[in-house]
Amino acid sequence: MKNITRREFFKISAGAAVGVTLLPRFLSSNETKEITGPVIGVARGEKDKLVKAALDAIGGIDKFIKQGDKVCIKPNISFAANVDRGATTTPEITKQVVELCLDAGASKVIILDHTIQNPELCVEKSKIEEALIDKKKVSLLTLTKERQFTEIEIPQGKELKSIKIAKAIQSADKLINLPTAKSHSATGVSLGIKNLMGLIWDRGHLHQVNLHRAIAELATVIKPDLTIIDATRALTSGGPGGPGKTVILNTVIVGADPVAVDSYGVGITQWYKKSFIGKNVKYIAAASELGLGEINTDKMTIKQVKA
Amino acid sequence: MAAKKITNHHTLRWLIQIFFLVLFIFFFTQTRYGIPARLQNLFFRFDPLILIITSIAYRAVITAALLSIFLIIGTFVFGRFFCGFICPLGTIIDIFDSIISHSPPVIKIPSFKNGKYLILLFLIISAFLGSSFVHFFDPLVIFERSLTLLLYPVLSYFAGLFALIPNAVFIETFIALIFFLTILGLGFIAPRFWCRNLCPMGGLLAFLSKFAVFKFTFFESCTKCKICEDICPTKAIDSETQKIDSAECINCLRCQYECPQTAIKYRINLLIVPFDIKKRQFITTLGASLVAVPLAKSLIHTKLEGLLIRPPGSIPEKDFLNVCIHCGMCMKVCPTNGLQPCILEAGINGLWTPKLVSRIGGCEKNCNKCGQICPTSAIRKLSLEEKSYAKIGTAVIDRSRCIAWEQDKVCLICDEICPYNAISSLNETIRETTLLRPFVDERICTGCGLCESRCPIEGQAAIQVFSIGEERITKGSYITDEKTRLRESEEKLEDIPSGFIIEE
Repeated sequence: MKNITRREFFKISAGAAVGVTLLPRFLSSNETKEITGPVIGVARGEKDKLVKAALDAIGGIDKFIKQGDKVCIKPNISFAANVDRGATTTPEITKQVVELCLDAGASKVIILDHTIQNPELCVEKSKIEEALIDKKKVSLLTLTKERQFTEIEIPQGKELKSIKIAKAIQSADKLINLPTAKSHSATGVSLGIKNLMGLIWDRGHLHQVNLHRAIAELATVIKPDLTIIDATRALTSGGPGGPGKTVILNTVIVGADPVAVDSYGVGITQWYKKSFIGKNVKYIAAASELGLGEINTDKMTIKQVKA
Repeated sequence: MAAKKITNHHTLRWLIQIFFLVLFIFFFTQTRYGIPARLQNLFFRFDPLILIITSIAYRAVITAALLSIFLIIGTFVFGRFFCGFICPLGTIIDIFDSIISHSPPVIKIPSFKNGKYLILLFLIISAFLGSSFVHFFDPLVIFERSLTLLLYPVLSYFAGLFALIPNAVFIETFIALIFFLTILGLGFIAPRFWCRNLCPMGGLLAFLSKFAVFKFTFFESCTKCKICEDICPTKAIDSETQKIDSAECINCLRCQYECPQTAIKYRINLLIVPFDIKKRQFITTLGASLVAVPLAKSLIHTKLEGLLIRPPGSIPEKDFLNVCIHCGMCMKVCPTNGLQPCILEAGINGLWTPKLVSRIGGCEKNCNKCGQICPTSAIRKLSLEEKSYAKIGTAVIDRSRCIAWEQDKVCLICDEICPYNAISSLNETIRETTLLRPFVDERICTGCGLCESRCPIEGQAAIQVFSIGEERITKGSYITDEKTRLRESEEKLEDIPSGFIIEE
């Protein structure tokens, strides 16, 4: 066998890393982007119909989930706080998403998060287990060990050269990002793209570099097929962990363009008693600069429906 | 026919021993967050040594341990059955002894059966003088603590099935390991060496057994063949005089089983074998107590107490050291692994007492398990509401380490994580940079340490909990109107996060 020099070894490893990175669908380049601007669905009304109504407005779940798909759903259950505090995705909305995935023929649904607080407490308080409606097909995965993550390169990265992301999302066919709408003491708001921080191993490191830019860079390598913002209620101050002020909005926002969904989400309520739009939020603006999606709500097709 | 029946008794003893060992370990595995605290500490409530020593040292009866009166009465009737049938440490020692039994004694030390009485006496005198040392000698405590500090991290490493926390660690396992291995290793001198010569629980029960109603008794058919004397693991039998010292006898049934003449039977027998404690031994023990108690008390480093964060609801420190039996159940049950064994932070007698090491894990707002599980209520049983108000310390920001203060980074993880909103992020201009920087409101901070556990700085956190303002009370509520007002106040100081670009 031919001996490999160190230099060659590095070349091959780097090539392999990039290759592996680009292989799964949601990690590949912006294929969902439409020339006419992104379409997002916004449903308001009855809680138990919100997700379906919003998705139907943009073509239905079948457009995103195909027969036999293995789907990862990333809610925000990072805090061991009662659901009404507004720091976590509501179990009702998660349950609706799971149901729709199963209806669309998903073979497997994994609900996962790398919680900030003790995972068992987070699971208990967030009541996420209510969404485990099918014992065989639906499972809950709390990421607790470093070996559940794998390091990938960030080609567009300035703040981050590489990052350890959850292996589970690499082996899945689809990723649905399911944040709750809340304020955030550092980033202003915490919506879809910010929620991706729950899929990496060392979130603390992001605070040691330029946080806003780092979050956007993270979004260049973790690309959800669908973002669904649970804005049944929004924690408009005191976020991300609360306690703080919550407002009932009974709204769900869906879309394939992560920047568009987040940008629209900024405008649905006041944060810290002030009104903002998408480009006022540094991490969303940075994501837009990195070409991850449309930030200008005038250039989106917004389909508003009543549920 | 008769022989077969006796065999059954012998097997029965093993089965009972294994049953109690398994039960003890089962309770241990059930000592975890997510399982309500009910019977897990049952063994300790039947522990007469805790009832007596801890109550004397605390100058109040440990009511939780009152069930042990049943064990005391039982011993008066049946003798030292606890040691032979129930004690899980005794069972482990039996198992270990049977493994090493082929080898002749490695070390030859004469037995010193008075040792257990003297240690018991030492515990009693020290307790009267104001210090409980029961945690160093109580077999149930030793076993529970060894399971927690030694077995739990191993289980937790291998499987999420047994343990809630992946990779649970304890900062002190070495001393506990040496301690446990020493007790087992004493088996190289003689079987049940610990139980016969050192264990004060054995000493207490032996003392009671002197007066037991039922005893193993010689019958006339004895041929003085000495088989019983040779096989007796506690050397309680003198076949020459046909006397069995009921204090030494642990009711293991071996003599009855092995006797070719069936000349030993368990019968009502009120004969008492006298004590043989020398005056010199008594005086030495008294002297030991007189040295040990002041030593234990003087070694509390008052200056270091600021770093000693006790679990919420811990009673005042002086009493805590006596009432806490150092069993480690609170550390096993802690869902964040934050409760850790002290080494010398609380003095020599504080070894293995629980302290919160927030850097490893903070105190979760929604958990009150340590107080629920504590067998002696050294940590009070508090409702979740009460617990959330029991202040254990105050977080202090070290601005020179904090990256929000020193390096103008958008960090604020401490503010993010604080479940009480005790940390505010406010605009502060330093070197012409205006940025949100964290401030602690010491009136709201409970010292839970979640901020310290999550601070992203390498090594020592930039926000650290000290025992400033800790509330240590034996009775009464931690909730005051002032506290609830502050916590529920809507007007939390909060500036617009720097993640927003504010347009003029």
